Amino acid sequence: MRVDPSYVTNLVGSLDQAQANEQQLTAELSSGVSITSLSQNPVASGENVLLLNQIQQDDSFTQSSNLVTGQLQVADSTLGSVVSQLTQAISLATSANNGTMNSSDVKSIGNQISGILDEVESLANTSYQGVYIFAGGQTSATPFATSTATGTSPAVTTYSGDEDVNYLETPNGQKIQLNVPGDQIFLGSGSKSVFGALNSLVADYSSGTVNTTQAVSDTQALSTALGYVSQQRVTIDNSITQLTAASDAVTSDQTQLTSAQTNLMQADVAQVSTQLSLSETQQTALEDVISQLDSTSNSLFSKLQP
Amino acid sequence: MGTINSAFSLISGALDADQSALSIVANNVANANTPGYTTETPNWQENSPVEINGVPYGDGVTETGATSRRDSVLEERLDQQQQLASASSVRMTALDNVQALFTPDSGSSSSRAGDIGSDITSFFNSFASLEANPTDNSLREEVLSSATTLAGDISNAAASLNSQSSGLGQEAAGVTSQVNSLTGAIAQLNQQIQSISPDADAGTLEDQRNEDVSQLSQLIGINQISTGNNGLALTTTSGQLLVSEGSSFQLTTGTVNGATDFFLGGTDITSQLASGGGELGGYLTARDQDIPSALNSLDQLAYGISTSVNQLNNAGTDLDGVTGTAASPLNIFNEPTQVAGSAASMSVVMTDPNQIAAAGLGQGTGDDSNAIAMANLANESLLQPVATTSFSMTQNLSSATPLNGTTSGSVQIYDSLGKSYNATVTYTKEGANTWGYSISVPDTLTADTRVANQVRYSFGPGETVDPGTNLTITGSAGGGTATIVAPVVVPGEAVGSAGPPATGYVAALDAQLTAAGIIGVTVTNTGGVLTISGATATAGSVIADPVASANATGTLTFNGSGALISPAANVSGITFGGLSDGASTMNLDWGLFAANGAANINQTAAASAQSAQSQNGSAGVNNGETPTDFYSNFVSTLGATVSGVQAENTAQNASVTQLQTQNNALSSVNLNDEAAAMSTLQSSYQAASQVFAMLNTIMASALNLGEQTTVS
Repeated sequence: MRVDPSYVTNLVGSLDQAQANEQQLTAELSSGVSITSLSQNPVASGENVLLLNQIQQDDSFTQSSNLVTGQLQVADSTLGSVVSQLTQAISLATSANNGTMNSSDVKSIGNQISGILDEVESLANTSYQGVYIFAGGQTSATPFATSTATGTSPAVTTYSGDEDVNYLETPNGQKIQLNVPGDQIFLGSGSKSVFGALNSLVADYSSGTVNTTQAVSDTQALSTALGYVSQQRVTIDNSITQLTAASDAVTSDQTQLTSAQTNLMQADVAQVSTQLSLSETQQTALEDVISQLDSTSNSLFSKLQP
Repeated sequence: MGTINSAFSLISGALDADQSALSIVANNVANANTPGYTTETPNWQENSPVEINGVPYGDGVTETGATSRRDSVLEERLDQQQQLASASSVRMTALDNVQALFTPDSGSSSSRAGDIGSDITSFFNSFASLEANPTDNSLREEVLSSATTLAGDISNAAASLNSQSSGLGQEAAGVTSQVNSLTGAIAQLNQQIQSISPDADAGTLEDQRNEDVSQLSQLIGINQISTGNNGLALTTTSGQLLVSEGSSFQLTTGTVNGATDFFLGGTDITSQLASGGGELGGYLTARDQDIPSALNSLDQLAYGISTSVNQLNNAGTDLDGVTGTAASPLNIFNEPTQVAGSAASMSVVMTDPNQIAAAGLGQGTGDDSNAIAMANLANESLLQPVATTSFSMTQNLSSATPLNGTTSGSVQIYDSLGKSYNATVTYTKEGANTWGYSISVPDTLTADTRVANQVRYSFGPGETVDPGTNLTITGSAGGGTATIVAPVVVPGEAVGSAGPPATGYVAALDAQLTAAGIIGVTVTNTGGVLTISGATATAGSVIADPVASANATGTLTFNGSGALISPAANVSGITFGGLSDGASTMNLDWGLFAANGAANINQTAAASAQSAQSQNGSAGVNNGETPTDFYSNFVSTLGATVSGVQAENTAQNASVTQLQTQNNALSSVNLNDEAAAMSTLQSSYQAASQVFAMLNTIMASALNLGEQTTVS
């Protein structure tokens, strides 16, 4: 068969291809990304969407977890303060109940316990970033109020929150409890009610005369309530522990995912450089071939004697 | 003397022949770089020998003209391959533009901008963040802002796809003028060739014609047919005549449903051109297949996210303690009415972040249970109406039925806009074991609403009518009946557009009814919905909506024990088109051999506005994919399509190059060959001229009878 006399056209086509290849490789080197369009690696492009989705979910959880940890720590330290206030109240009540105090001392203790009651109420109404943390789902309104109406003795502390419990869901679906409804902590049934016991003690000591049996019983109730608060605090502490563990797991997961995603998408500089160098060599070779073949001195016409 | 004269004649003939051959070589060299030029070779013909005393003497040679060196089979093969290569090349460029809208996010924040995959994640993450503090305004704002980004990126991508689609339509339309000018030129060349050289190769004229055909092959898929007298007929690959002898047929364009369609002699051949090849085929494949497929995926995604998120937001309690109702819904996204167009129209309609229903139904506003549910949508399959729906029907064909006896059964099916029709299958007994069947979709739509003595059919806002072929209204008119064909809709006009009855489409329809004297049919426009109603008490059908397609018919043959033997498989490809309200063509399969033993009518390939449940079919949900999985599959599929077309194009180009090389090897001018030929011919010419000189001397010597005198 005869040779195609237009071989240079074909060679120029190859040259174009080599140049396009070089452009692509240079783009990969400068951007550091190996997949710049879907068609370069359709499977990796799809995989990339899934990996980024997980990475971003992990990232978002880490941020939420930081936010929530703050709230849980405030709840924990608030309950810590409540415990110490209640311990103090029990100690005051015990001293008032031993029968050695005069009327004014008893009244003074009553006043002190009343102060503790106010303090505990204020702690129960703690808000974190505008949210009442012991109000269940009714987070925008002060959950606890003590009735100051005259003639009511002992006074009654009421709860206007609800029983909602919020959760934070981890990327793997674990639900971490974020709050304990306030009435569960402070208004437990029977002898578990913090406010019930405190209000009773205030009433017990307000007149200066102590009904020892009643006061001892109320003090006992406050002790029980204190134990109950500590139990509820454990829920909060557990949440903090769970959150820390989940956050650590997510961070480690995120690290692995990021590394997988980087492997998937990042250009291998050494490999790309080698390919680029090869492609450049190919281009030079092609240019040389073209210049030699296209030279007019190669034509048989130039060999013909005039 | 006679012999010397013969020698003179012989040698001068040789000189002429050499001269003529040298001219052909010179012509070849001069045209070495002329596109489409086919190298020519001289034809040598031996002159008839002269016989003297019974002995034949050679009478030299004549050069009878040039022959172009061509292989028409090879040329046609090259043209065919060129059609495929240019189609895939154009399609590849179009697909490159499509995939540029979905550049992979490398993970850096700058590459994240505009990435729908990241948008989806961010949007659902914003609900996850809201779990931490459901009442926090900044977190709520974040939900709306990420929703806006998501909706904006999806609708931008859809808008870009739509504009790319119309751009491709324009480019394709631009190709038609080139096609027409080439077919015109080919017809003209046909005439010239047929008159000048009906029996043999026409040289440069054929070169020109081949060059034009080759250029045409790059533009449009064609078949070549050689006709008598060296003529050439061209058809599109699907058989429509483009050039016949000296006549060419013009390709024209027109707008159908807002898109540019292509016509040949009044027939719409757009779909045939799309599969035909050439640039036109590439443009149309990209416009009518690739882009709609990408758009459909985006539509499904947008529809799924919008409806699922809206539905859930209406099922919770917002920060103000409000729960959404049908009358005043708490929609985050613009609620789509159907899948088609959902992506382009996706937008955030909620402006007040307080309206995000993070709390569960009946819970305090600080509750986060609904926010958890919405965040979990990221891991759930989204609500999606299904394209394939199955409607069951059973009919007993009794052997006791007399010949020509009929029985029928019907089942409610839906068009793409969710309007219902009763498909009826009528069976006619044609023989002992054979039944004819006819599946029809009735002219009269199943009424939207049926109140006492009235049938109503409503056109919603934005629905279009194709009244030229479809919507007819028949009613009582002066003792008999009269029928009108509803007026043509002005492009862009919504039939149910709001406005008083005295204006727009309503007024035009009313005027037409009055002019035809039809009584008992009224046209009203309330709340942007056009309603045509008529009392059934009036004679004739009230509102007819002829379906443009004919009934699907065939024969069922049973064996002696009543088992169906023919058709041997399910009947597929039943279509009913030309529906009045602009709904897509209904595609049905008749599952005669359905698994449950009952024949099913299956509706396929037309997404419907009706939810799957209301279509009496199984609920399909986004193929069970989460939004991210769906998007991931979408980009993979798109990438694979582009990569497939790239590979195809590379292979086709290689094949074109190979064929081109073969063709060039045969037909293009090889300067070395020409130089060699020229050298040979020169030598031959030189030799002949030397013989001529010698003859001259001999002649002189003969004339002078051997004496050295004046004649030399």
